[in-house]
Amino acid sequence: MSTTAPDVASVRTGERTTGIARRILRNYVVRRVFRSLFVIWVVTTVMFFMLRLLPGNPVDTYIATQMRAGGSYESAAATAAGLFTFDPSTPLIQQYGDYLWALLHGDLGNSLTGTTVVEKISSGLPWTLFSVGYALLIAIGVGLLLGVLMAYRRGGVLDHTVSVIGSVLHAIPNYLFAIILVVFGGVQLGLFDVADIRGTYTAGVEPELSFTFVSDAFYHASLPVTVYVLTTFGTWALVMKASTITTLEEDYVTVARARGLSDRRIGTQYVGRNAVLPMIAQIATQGSFVFGTAIFVELILKYDGISAELFAAINDRDYATVQGILLLMTFVVVFSNLLAELVNSALDPRIRESANGAGG
Amino acid sequence: MTETALLSVRDLRVAYRTGGGRMVEAVRGVDFDLYPEQTLALVGESGSGKSTLGLGLLRLLPRTGHITGGEVVYRGSDPEGTDVLRMEGSRLRRWRWSEVAMVFQGAMNAFNPVLKVGDQFADTMRAHLPRQRLGKAQVRERSAESLRAVRLEPGQVLDSYPHELSGGMRQRALIALALILEPRVLVLDEPTTALDLLTQRAIVDMLQELRAERGFSMIFISHDLALASELADRVATMYAGRIIESGTTPDLFRAPRHPYTVGLIRAVPPVRAGAVEPVSIPGAPPNLAQLPPGCSFAPRCGHATDACEATDPALRTVEARPAGQPSHEAACLHWESVRLDTAPAAAQDGTPNDAPAKEVAQ
Repeated sequence: MSTTAPDVASVRTGERTTGIARRILRNYVVRRVFRSLFVIWVVTTVMFFMLRLLPGNPVDTYIATQMRAGGSYESAAATAAGLFTFDPSTPLIQQYGDYLWALLHGDLGNSLTGTTVVEKISSGLPWTLFSVGYALLIAIGVGLLLGVLMAYRRGGVLDHTVSVIGSVLHAIPNYLFAIILVVFGGVQLGLFDVADIRGTYTAGVEPELSFTFVSDAFYHASLPVTVYVLTTFGTWALVMKASTITTLEEDYVTVARARGLSDRRIGTQYVGRNAVLPMIAQIATQGSFVFGTAIFVELILKYDGISAELFAAINDRDYATVQGILLLMTFVVVFSNLLAELVNSALDPRIRESANGAGG
Repeated sequence: MTETALLSVRDLRVAYRTGGGRMVEAVRGVDFDLYPEQTLALVGESGSGKSTLGLGLLRLLPRTGHITGGEVVYRGSDPEGTDVLRMEGSRLRRWRWSEVAMVFQGAMNAFNPVLKVGDQFADTMRAHLPRQRLGKAQVRERSAESLRAVRLEPGQVLDSYPHELSGGMRQRALIALALILEPRVLVLDEPTTALDLLTQRAIVDMLQELRAERGFSMIFISHDLALASELADRVATMYAGRIIESGTTPDLFRAPRHPYTVGLIRAVPPVRAGAVEPVSIPGAPPNLAQLPPGCSFAPRCGHATDACEATDPALRTVEARPAGQPSHEAACLHWESVRLDTAPAAAQDGTPNDAPAKEVAQ
């Protein structure tokens, strides 16, 4: 009888394994985590230098603002020197070293206005994560379900309707869709009160774990969530449909029918599970994309997520704050990709195998 | 051998819908009876409709395929028989695999890649035996038993994912899975294709053994005449969606009376060195959408006359036998003059061509 794959794999790893440290390094999860950290470091570094390539620095920007307001250069420069800890004459490489050192200690630094970057981020980021995450859950859930239904009833009414609507909505950039929503839905048709729904929660409602607060938060998030869901669910549906159709034609589905399995069992464990596999990588990249473009949508809809902070910080050349926000966004993107890979390897035994055996 | 057929197929027709809304018949009126403990081999080229016929028997045709006519009667425990084509829903679902199971081509991914082999055995049992309260241990024990019967190591196979097994092991595991509910009929569609010769040999021997032990019937679909002659009691040759010759294995391999069967036998390279060169059948299988009006094999046939191009011959009895024993029948106007050693189309070399028949049918 011929040798099986696992035998080959274990022999191969057995030869190479020289110690526990080596074995840990070879572990799939550990290697993915290291790779993610490396990506974060690269992005952080590139961002650090790119940001400093922007014309002007915090001091110059402050002086320019003061002078536009009528002050003299000397007085503005004196105030700036007193206000800011930032010294433009420090060598760039030293600034980078200080930044990385602080970062390793979990210190994101202080913003120009004196508050810590962590404080600044923590006021906006949760709202962005909440609205984007909530929207993705709905969009992916609805999209995958529609995709499977469309694949099972190819050429039906649902298939045609969702295909057309989904592709049209997908073609509209989400910030444009946000404008359309406000102009037509809010102003012209009066479906909602634009002034009332803006912001993340109504002034006066205590941010606590109460029904009033939670429902208020969902109410205020409904506009951005609508935008994210409507502009993405069509893509999910179409991609899932294609994936499901391919899976339905797989031999093992025919064999499963021959084996007399129930349609439900075939639909979930044989068709669904295999059809969703190629989708997971896409969920990560698409999710990151929505998160990245949320800035524009939030600005238009006046949803006080991370976008307002980022915008102000870029204008003021508030390096520390911009770096902090971008670092966190990078972290979210890299982390969701990592999560997708781990989920994928949990669902698909073949990935685990090849990653562990061949080291790639 | 009993007299009543286990599975009777009458005038079965299967058509595929094509792009322009047209229907192309892939199986054009097939009749046969399968008796208990018998093996029927369906042989023919690719595209002759033999795989479609196999899938049609279990009503597993792809979306575009439809059974357009005919009758498939299955007589399992019920002597009256049930019409397979009228079975619906959960009755059909339960009938499949517990009465008629199917072994697919070796090259196919018959197993779900994300489930362990053991889970797929359990799935199958649970789908059919819900009331018996199959415990985990029982399911595992039965799966293990079935795997041992095909000479696989259960402990290793049950906990493996399909991709961790070799092609030969997967095919054995599929046979074990097919036999787990003790079906009366096993349809095997090219079960040894894509396997190396030694593995083929082992699987054929194993099938012989299992059949002798358990007494199920087999429908063996293959283009491999040597394997067919070894496993089958009866052979039917298919061409362009029809059975064009049928009879016992010696009938077809020693004294074929249809020029196509003769051509198939002569196309097989002889096993022993020094025997005659294989001769291929000229031309290609016909386009099912544009069949010639007369005999569908006429354009490729060395015996063809004008009459062949005008009439599509029905099966004629070559040798009649009492009920329960298959008669030798051939759908050829010139069956009386067709001999394995005098096939005019290919016999230019003039050597006596008795040798390949003996090779194949020994």
